[in-house]
Amino acid sequence: MVADSPPPYAAQSGADEPGDPRSWDRDKPRPRISGVRPYLLTHGRVRPFNAAVLNVAAQVMTTWEGRTAYGRLSYEHRDIVALCVHPVSVAEIAAHLHLHLGVARVLVADMVALGYLVVRGLEVPVNQKSVVIERVIRGLTAIR
Amino acid sequence: MDSPRFADAPGVGWPPMPVKIVIAGGFGVGKTTAVAQVSETPVLTTEAPITEIAAAIDRAEEVPEKTTTTVALDFGRITIDDEIKLYLFGTPGQDRFGFMWRDLTEGALGALIIADSRRLDDSFAAVDYFERAEIPFVVGVNLFDGVARHELADVRWALAIPDDVPLITFDARDRGSVLDALLAVLNHSLSRVT
Repeated sequence: MVADSPPPYAAQSGADEPGDPRSWDRDKPRPRISGVRPYLLTHGRVRPFNAAVLNVAAQVMTTWEGRTAYGRLSYEHRDIVALCVHPVSVAEIAAHLHLHLGVARVLVADMVALGYLVVRGLEVPVNQKSVVIERVIRGLTAIR
Repeated sequence: MDSPRFADAPGVGWPPMPVKIVIAGGFGVGKTTAVAQVSETPVLTTEAPITEIAAAIDRAEEVPEKTTTTVALDFGRITIDDEIKLYLFGTPGQDRFGFMWRDLTEGALGALIIADSRRLDDSFAAVDYFERAEIPFVVGVNLFDGVARHELADVRWALAIPDDVPLITFDARDRGSVLDALLAVLNHSLSRVT
């Protein structure tokens, strides 16, 4: 649906056109938060379809479908597909692309629904929680 | 979407497992400083519009739709191993930001509440919140100037910190000290896993 009808916000993002995803510089500072109103970026949607999955730390990764569709995507979707070739959190997407956190969540949720991204939340099975905590303890101890 | 299994290493195309520790405390108490000491990336900031975050809780209708106020969230990241990435989120600790805590603290392994002994009032709301939310937390008194201005027992009393909650001192400017504080949080969380 995205490819068929250019979204209304595309023109407003022209100055922020993404480069080749392979040369994406995720640490490059950008000047400021986008002034584009959230409702423009999200086609009027203000809630992600599944807020529980989209924890601020949830890991987002581009799928093969997302890479394949890159050339047909809107600018905002391209930015996210390029950034998430290496998995990053929802909060990092917002920070790197200078989106409000809520906008990033809605865009990610939409793109998950379209099959361009996969998301891994913070759910840890109860019986594995201690194992996870112990691994984090070992990891921090190793860099102490 | 296949459900991830912790026992199996993620295959190509599956994201790593994120875990989160919340760093709470009042303005200027050292949250961002602490995150900066240990994060493998420069501290990142994202702006969370108050309306959006408020919408995640039950009283969204009380917040006018036109509100454009934003709150800056600082965070950092530590890659633990091949599969686990630890995120550290600094959370405004005052009462008036309480609306956003649930959103930011959900799924956290634990919390470090940074307290400034000169302004203990700023930490009270955070202690109260994490206790009610049953998120394991440790209170770390940031040693500004290298001196704790109150005895720890006084701090525990003033903040009504339960006896089984660890109360430590640390230096938010010192990497090793911050890592020790995070380890204190994790060890406390581990002790709470049943």
